Amino acid sequence: MNLVRTFRSLALVALVTLLAAPVQAMAADLVVFAAASLKNALDDIAAQWQRETGKTVRISYTASSALARQIEIGAPTQLFISADLEWMDYLAQRDLVKPDTRANLLGNRIVLIAPKESNIALSIAPGFPLASALAGGRLAMANTDAVPAGTYGKAALRKLGVWDQVEARVAQAENVRAALVLVSRAEAPLGIVYQTDAAADANVRIIDTFPEDTHPPIVYPVALTAAASHPDAASFLAYLRSLAARSIFEKRGFTVLSPSPRRGTS
Amino acid sequence: MLTPLEIEALSTSLRVAGLSTIASLPFGIAIAWLLARTSFPGRGLLNGFIHLPLVLPPVVVGYVLLLLLGRRGLVGSWLYDAFGVTLVFTWQGAAIASAVMAFPLMVQAIRLSLESVDHGLEAAARTLGAGPVGVFATVTLPLIAPGILTGSILAWARSLGEFGATITFVSNIPGETRTLSNAFFALSQAPGNEEAIVRLLVISIVIALVALLAAEILARRVRRRIRGTSRA
Repeated sequence: MNLVRTFRSLALVALVTLLAAPVQAMAADLVVFAAASLKNALDDIAAQWQRETGKTVRISYTASSALARQIEIGAPTQLFISADLEWMDYLAQRDLVKPDTRANLLGNRIVLIAPKESNIALSIAPGFPLASALAGGRLAMANTDAVPAGTYGKAALRKLGVWDQVEARVAQAENVRAALVLVSRAEAPLGIVYQTDAAADANVRIIDTFPEDTHPPIVYPVALTAAASHPDAASFLAYLRSLAARSIFEKRGFTVLSPSPRRGTS
Repeated sequence: MLTPLEIEALSTSLRVAGLSTIASLPFGIAIAWLLARTSFPGRGLLNGFIHLPLVLPPVVVGYVLLLLLGRRGLVGSWLYDAFGVTLVFTWQGAAIASAVMAFPLMVQAIRLSLESVDHGLEAAARTLGAGPVGVFATVTLPLIAPGILTGSILAWARSLGEFGATITFVSNIPGETRTLSNAFFALSQAPGNEEAIVRLLVISIVIALVALLAAEILARRVRRRIRGTSRA
């Protein structure tokens, strides 16, 4: 390659970068960080909010752990919805969320799932024959030490006294949606995911729901970040707890925990 | 000095990276030779295809592997029916995932050194009666040894750091597919693991530096030997 051609291609790269820059520079939007399992429901709610108010919101979804660490290092976000209490507490201890705006927004359940065409029948009870139902296959779960969906599942299996039999058969996925894919593709004969994930995938069926007393309560807390200054942040938070949002959350399989906002009562 | 988890993750990583590099080397040399020495319809397409893992997000590559090599996949179902082999959830599967991710780097390095080989030397060997295979084995291969070495080191290093395709294709199973990167990611997902994370970080850096240093010494020795023989 000669020098002129090298220079030309470098110029092209620079041009493309410059053209893409305005997209990045669109600041001043309302930015929300939300746990990955909320994607379907929150996308619907954001669209409806935009229809009703004409205002836009940008929502970034990934594992709560990653979002919390990004907020810790100063990500410009206004609102955080975590999939567990632990990561919200992590930010609260560091004064990175506004404590008076914090509330428990949603509840969820964990379920045992199988590929749609599987004929495994099991009912969840103490000592139920989970290991033999796997028949040498793997049990797909989110990471059982760190990702909320995995830790809840591990707690439930412990409580039911079957964890020791299946521990070595667990395939730990990066997040709960990745565990869902493994069952949906029938790579794993059984898996543990949220009820809301199972409802979102037509290729899996729910075998049974884990009793709520077998694991810590599955709670999605919400709070404005300490840096939140956007004029629409508080109104979007209120909208999340409105009746309109409630029906969308419930349609996706969530339990709505706080129907009315508690505003500055303390 | 090392915790059981660290020893297990380290040995899994070394096993995966080793198999991945050794198993992909013959294919890497063959593809590099095709791209450097021949022209055929679809050569550009092959070149682009080989380089896809550099461009695609690793998680997507892992998902494609799941579609192809999974128990229900196009190739995977055949492997399972014909040989009873499953790659999903195994360390061999992890080696395939990292081999695919590292393949473009290996091919590129070998191809560059193939392109710089003096054709006169190969022609001379021909006139002295060597067949095409003989020429390749006794003239070309020794001349591109530095390229093969560089390609293998790059591929090995890339394999050691592979995470996205691995976790998607074979997930994270202690003792089977829990590599250093997998262990690292899992630790980073829970609060309060800062010390364990730093320990893994130090281990990773030490391995990388030792390996790259060893490779540098080896490469220098190979280069010196080639210079020596061509002068003689």
